[in-house]
Amino acid sequence: MPSLATLVLSDARFPGGGHVHSGGLEEAVARALVTGVGDLGTFLHGRLRTAGLVAASFAAAAAVAAGSAEPCWAALDAELDARTPSAAQRDASRAQGRGTLRAARASWPSPVLDALVAAHPRPHHPLLVGAVVGIAGGDPVEAAQCVAYLAVSGPASAAVRLLGLDPIAVNAAIVAMAPTVDEVVALAVAAADRAPADLPAPGAPMLDLLAQSHVRHHREQVRLFAS
Amino acid sequence: MRARAVLAVERDTGGRCVVRELRSESPLSLVPRRGVAGALDTGVTVHLVGSATTPLAGDDVELDVRVGPGAALVLTGVAAAVALPGAGRASTLTVRVELDDGACLQYLPEPTVVTSRADHRTLLHATLHPTARLRAREVLVGGRSGEPSGRYAGTTRVVERARPAPGTTSDRVLLHQTQELGDAGLAASSAYLGGRRVLATEVLVWGDDSADGAVGDDWSLTSLRGRGSLATAVGHDAVGAQRALAEAVAAHPGWTSTVLAGAERARPAPPPHAAADESGRRW
Amino acid sequence: MRPEDHVGHGHGHLVTFDPTETEPDHHDTPPTHGRAVRIGIGGPVGSGKTALVAALARSLADRVRLAVVTNDIYTTEDADFLRRNAVLPPDRVEAVQTGCCPHTAIRDDITANLDAVETLEERFGDLDLVLVESGGDNLTAVFSRGLVDRQIFVVDVAGGDKVPRKGGPGVTTADLLVINKIDLAALVGADLGVMTSDAHRMRGELPVIAQSLVHDPGATDVGEWVLAQVGAVRAAA
Repeated sequence: MPSLATLVLSDARFPGGGHVHSGGLEEAVARALVTGVGDLGTFLHGRLRTAGLVAASFAAAAAVAAGSAEPCWAALDAELDARTPSAAQRDASRAQGRGTLRAARASWPSPVLDALVAAHPRPHHPLLVGAVVGIAGGDPVEAAQCVAYLAVSGPASAAVRLLGLDPIAVNAAIVAMAPTVDEVVALAVAAADRAPADLPAPGAPMLDLLAQSHVRHHREQVRLFAS
Repeated sequence: MRARAVLAVERDTGGRCVVRELRSESPLSLVPRRGVAGALDTGVTVHLVGSATTPLAGDDVELDVRVGPGAALVLTGVAAAVALPGAGRASTLTVRVELDDGACLQYLPEPTVVTSRADHRTLLHATLHPTARLRAREVLVGGRSGEPSGRYAGTTRVVERARPAPGTTSDRVLLHQTQELGDAGLAASSAYLGGRRVLATEVLVWGDDSADGAVGDDWSLTSLRGRGSLATAVGHDAVGAQRALAEAVAAHPGWTSTVLAGAERARPAPPPHAAADESGRRW
Repeated sequence: MRPEDHVGHGHGHLVTFDPTETEPDHHDTPPTHGRAVRIGIGGPVGSGKTALVAALARSLADRVRLAVVTNDIYTTEDADFLRRNAVLPPDRVEAVQTGCCPHTAIRDDITANLDAVETLEERFGDLDLVLVESGGDNLTAVFSRGLVDRQIFVVDVAGGDKVPRKGGPGVTTADLLVINKIDLAALVGADLGVMTSDAHRMRGELPVIAQSLVHDPGATDVGEWVLAQVGAVRAAA
């Protein structure tokens, strides 16, 4: 049974700043790559299998690290950076990590969070989520599930707002991805005990491109989402 | 076929780059050539030649490349590699690269075509001295024309050796990324290839990076944490993807300044430390 | 982020807040000691929030150390408006992306706005006042008390003289209600007397200011109220 912490962290109403990030979706919409529920599903599938798997793996590893005597936060931070070649995506992950940290400190105060922040003052979002799940007594499976779900639920919500899609149809599209979510979570959990350097590292060429393009348009013409 | 190849390039006392060690065996041949037009630096150029049909299922090829202090190497292919199917086993290509103080490597293999029933894995593991420079290209084509892609997974890991100075205790990883072909859902996703067949990347750990990066319709250039950049391009065919990749690389300030300097002088300056090392030995 | 980093920032307009800032924070938590007083300015679309912010920036710039967070820049035209009409240098204005949900960004999940306020506080260590302008929303949109110390709700006569009577949390609970554009009352057929008496009836003891930036470009009364709040919040801290 998932812990309350996992439910709270995966709730869209969690005040961690997630609602201003679209995970590349806003730029995909601007380029007419995503126009409806069908191609949204295809986009989300690719995102889940790549960025979602990286995030879920590091969240699961962070849940393990939270319970370990000598958590390797600095190595996890560096390896996650190395798996996020897009500077814009690294920054988006850290911005959400910082927002989540603010709320986490009030809800789950712990020396584990202090140690994570000592490794980097703006921790990556998956590391923070994994650490909180671990602090609250949850396991790596929950951490991976939470982050894998967030990898698609955030962009899906952005699509509802940007394209006026039917939220009921979008919700059904997310639920239809259950087998892929399970697959990603299984891969992430299987890797959770490995050394940080050996965690999964799938690239996502178009997500990198969309993230960089978003930043450019953010400067030239203001966008509605931060990423 | 199982093959082990070794290539070591050094800068001799006269300042010339020389091949110190060269071992290769079928199906991979290494053919050195000097003075190839168009290559930057007067370093050594070595061609990668597939001497038998490779990669074929079950092939297991390893190549170790070492570039010594101040030396420069261009390692390039002469023809596209075509990953072919076989008896249900994967083919693997592992390239390990060690770049010493002031060393330069341009690793520019020709495109790899992943035919429909292939299962090919690659690993490029580069370890760089903080003053070394690396340019490593990979162009992947998912299937021959009109053919679905076979399975491919290629991992690139670039690590910078810790500076031998107080305060830095461990190596730092600059890039670790696995590219995958052969999953139709992934290839179709606008988060991955957006229906294109060709994925081209180039790692540039080569002087200045652009903090903001650059982006076009089908390419991006983004700066890695710490040092280095990654150029990425997608295309419906190899020509288009390589053209887009060239645009991304042209947006990289470190590479561009090298090209401009090379065009001006048509010969390389010695690396800053090359006049003499601590022992007084002249390069 | 250090102030000098921002001076040479290559942005061509006012959107200087980058929530995806690369540089590590120098503070993990907002400085509680001597932090700036935060005043939210909300109200429906077109009621004149941006114009009021610009007026306050002009009239208060010499009296308090001031910065602005805006949630309302959807186009570069808006950004240019603030730049032209405010005497604030561009690096004293931060814009946030609200993910199409302006009320969420000021009420339910204030993260992006807190980040922006803290970025300004880190950039200028000695701010007295940060004005947080919400995106135009409806009559139910109010600021979270976790984000601002006081809030102003702005309605205008052109929105219809029934607006104060309709109530809603903005009209009834804001620390100050501003009835804006009163110079237009006759033109749009709005009864200013009805508006102000309704407003007072809905709000009890809470203050109401009716103003026109055409007649008073410095928003004098609102400016005095803002300064009084800065003093009061500081005194209570």
